[in-house]
Amino acid sequence: MQHDIPVPALGPQGEVMAHAVDACVHCGFCLPACPTYALLGDEMDSPRGRIVLMKEVLEGTLSLADAAPHLDRCLGCQACVTACPSGVPYGELITSFRGWSEPGRERSPLDRAKRAGILKILPAPKVFSVAARVGQYAKPFAPLLPAALRAPLDLLPERVPAMRPQPPVTPARGKRRGRVAFLAGCAQQALTPNFNAATLRVLARNGFEVVIPEGQGCCGAAALHTGARDEALRLVRQNLAAFNPDDYDAILSNAAGCGAGLKEYPVVLHGLPDEVQARAFAAKVQDISEFLAGLLHAGELEPFLPTSRPLTVTYHDACHLAHAQGVRAAPRELLRAIPGVTVVEVPEGDLCCGSAGTYNLEQPELANELGVRKARNILSTTPDLIASGNIGCHTQVGSHTRRQGSRVPVLHTVEVLDLAYRGEL
Amino acid sequence: MSFSPRKTAFTPGSRAPKPRSGGTPDNPLAAELTRVLGPTKVLSTLSERRNYRYDAIQFGETPLAVVLPESTADVVMAVRAARAAGVPIVGRGAASGLSGGAVPMQTGLVLSFTRMTRLEVFPEWREARAQAGVVTLSVTEAARPHGLIYPPDPASFRTSTIGGNLGENAGGPLCFKYGVTGDYVRGLQFVDADGEVHDLTRDAYDLAGLLIGSEGTLGLITEATLRLSPPPKYTRTLLASFAEVGECAEAVSRAIAAGAVPAKLEFMDQACTNAVEDYLALGLPRDAGAVLLVDTDGDDLDTVEEERTLVEAACREAGGTVRRAATDAEAAALWQARRSVSPALGRIRPQRMNEDIVVPRSVLPEVVREIRTLGDASGLPVVQFGHIGDGNLHPNILYDPRRESPEAVHALAHAIALVALRHGGVLSGEHGIGTIKRPFMREALDSVTLGALRDVKRALDPAGRLNPGKILPDEERETHAHP
Repeated sequence: MQHDIPVPALGPQGEVMAHAVDACVHCGFCLPACPTYALLGDEMDSPRGRIVLMKEVLEGTLSLADAAPHLDRCLGCQACVTACPSGVPYGELITSFRGWSEPGRERSPLDRAKRAGILKILPAPKVFSVAARVGQYAKPFAPLLPAALRAPLDLLPERVPAMRPQPPVTPARGKRRGRVAFLAGCAQQALTPNFNAATLRVLARNGFEVVIPEGQGCCGAAALHTGARDEALRLVRQNLAAFNPDDYDAILSNAAGCGAGLKEYPVVLHGLPDEVQARAFAAKVQDISEFLAGLLHAGELEPFLPTSRPLTVTYHDACHLAHAQGVRAAPRELLRAIPGVTVVEVPEGDLCCGSAGTYNLEQPELANELGVRKARNILSTTPDLIASGNIGCHTQVGSHTRRQGSRVPVLHTVEVLDLAYRGEL
Repeated sequence: MSFSPRKTAFTPGSRAPKPRSGGTPDNPLAAELTRVLGPTKVLSTLSERRNYRYDAIQFGETPLAVVLPESTADVVMAVRAARAAGVPIVGRGAASGLSGGAVPMQTGLVLSFTRMTRLEVFPEWREARAQAGVVTLSVTEAARPHGLIYPPDPASFRTSTIGGNLGENAGGPLCFKYGVTGDYVRGLQFVDADGEVHDLTRDAYDLAGLLIGSEGTLGLITEATLRLSPPPKYTRTLLASFAEVGECAEAVSRAIAAGAVPAKLEFMDQACTNAVEDYLALGLPRDAGAVLLVDTDGDDLDTVEEERTLVEAACREAGGTVRRAATDAEAAALWQARRSVSPALGRIRPQRMNEDIVVPRSVLPEVVREIRTLGDASGLPVVQFGHIGDGNLHPNILYDPRRESPEAVHALAHAIALVALRHGGVLSGEHGIGTIKRPFMREALDSVTLGALRDVKRALDPAGRLNPGKILPDEERETHAHP
């Protein structure tokens, strides 16, 4: 669409945003893909509407405060990117816009404290672990607390497991095929340590030495998507220093949100001196399922043991895997490679579960509605197991299916593969 | 008679707080609407109103207020308030239209029907009753369990609404064999410019027929009774590639002359194919000057196969090569590609001027070649695609206002419209006249006919309050003979 965005004044991030606005022909194909449009049915809460609002704030004809409520309701799920025939990089637009606009936002002291708290606790596994443990004791009092405090407590599992130390190097087993680097992630180290343990076991079994480079930190996605650009830049550069892409066959993540964040580094650094370095880094980044499916296609994946009985596995697409990274087939192919497993699809599978990074804490009502709807859709498939590739989805789907009276286990895809290797399915 | 209508809604009864304009609306119209309809159905802040000034082709004036009615009664109240305030009213569905139909040309009230999503299916009568905001595809989704479908299938059917489809008399790839929206309407309800409600059927004066395709200029359609039909048992899909668009048009003429009645006959030229290939990466033939996408269908497999063979032979005789879709999934992907053409053109230039001409099938090869030649001579990117079986072509001029002159674009659009008129064609097959083809109406219609259209408009909307600035050009010294 036509625009008068003052690109030179906005700098490299302005280029990113103007490019996205340019590509949009406001056709409306994104509307039915958007979860908030599905719930609210008005243009401001659709991707097309938000692009127009961002354009007009950037042009200076609309105040940020006026547009903010609608932009804040965006989950960042990027279902619209999948639906868009024109190739609008909406994810890049909303992320860059949030970074650009945050300094100009008027927020209450309480709001600021909450956001700062999230960004302090979430990316620090040790702090998060302590917070989660404290939260566990507060869980029984959740109904008495205000919504802002209740939302995170609702998501905590019944039992927060103990942190496990992560080996800096996991040696390959059997015939050595190569060496990969692994981003350990943040919250999942505290909440679901088995994600990483299973990942290391599956990679080692397939002949890969796995390095968890010293000095790595949070991928920066949470900071990036909440507009804390300076903090995000710090984390991005910390990781670029920690991972030398030339040393590894691949840089792997097992969290869809983190993987999408890592792949976004070149956009974050667009127009800055380290953009080239970010490109080399991002070119090596893969989700664990992408990497393993590559082995499967090459006929090099160690075969799985058959399940003890026929299993229906319902695979839930994490938005940051399916929409942001375009990874859909890989996890399904891997699960289907387990003898005895039938993979089934979720009705309305493209619709976000509502977890969406920090969205659960920022927009609890909408997140809850989407969670209820997602759990209902998943349970309608009567699964024996539910698999997904993202910690956020995992906690959201887990808490909502349990709330609907289901005891079906919710696992990471790689945990299912790990169980298949051990013959425990 | 007992039946249990199946209700579906695109927008579930969300308990999440509906967006509401905080504080006091800053204009009397919004304040009055808020008073009579309550705060959750009225949008009045600038950010909200800005989002209701465009469709899929152009931007217009920011409305004073937007109403999101949830019932016909809400529509009546909104129309009365607008009438009292003396402001124009524009109806809007999903705003996926391509002629400016839902774009406000003057400041006033926009009525957005996206929350009127009640849908009932009556399988015994093969009918559905849909409110204006029902998404097109959801009618078929609701009818399918009863062994029925709603055939009209505009490319935007996942997005567009029944109200918008009726307003523009939308077509779609199935139009060749099954017809367009208007062929499936048994009755409709509309609210007139005074706020009166009318329920119409298709007998006596076919007023419903008049409302269909009237682009919200004669009344606001709130509900419609739609005819459903059983889907064909068998469908076969093929893709034919040609060196140039004229050959593709020749193949169509040959196939139809040979007696084939395909369900869908669609074409796209090389630029279109490449734009959708960039989006979907299906392995479409990037080198072909044009491709033809064809469905043959029916309840007798032999006939369906025979028809496909006829079409294939026609394509080969015209110089094309043919590929069959091996699976349903492959066929579905090809049709997704075809439905994505229009928006995918955004990859080439940010703006477009789209046309919607219909020409007699006998002159198709000449017309597509003439348009190709005009495009090449202009230096502007011109692409063509559309429902070639119906002779309904969508030439699109792609441009970037920062690089190309809008005047040159308009002049070329005019030249293309004239090609259609010169060959005995018309300006609009399915997208409507709106604002985009309005400048060419005097050349398309003689002054007596235009006068008759003005009489109709005056009869139903004497004050000219419904969607002003659309279809009919401003009155100059048009005299038309009253009998």
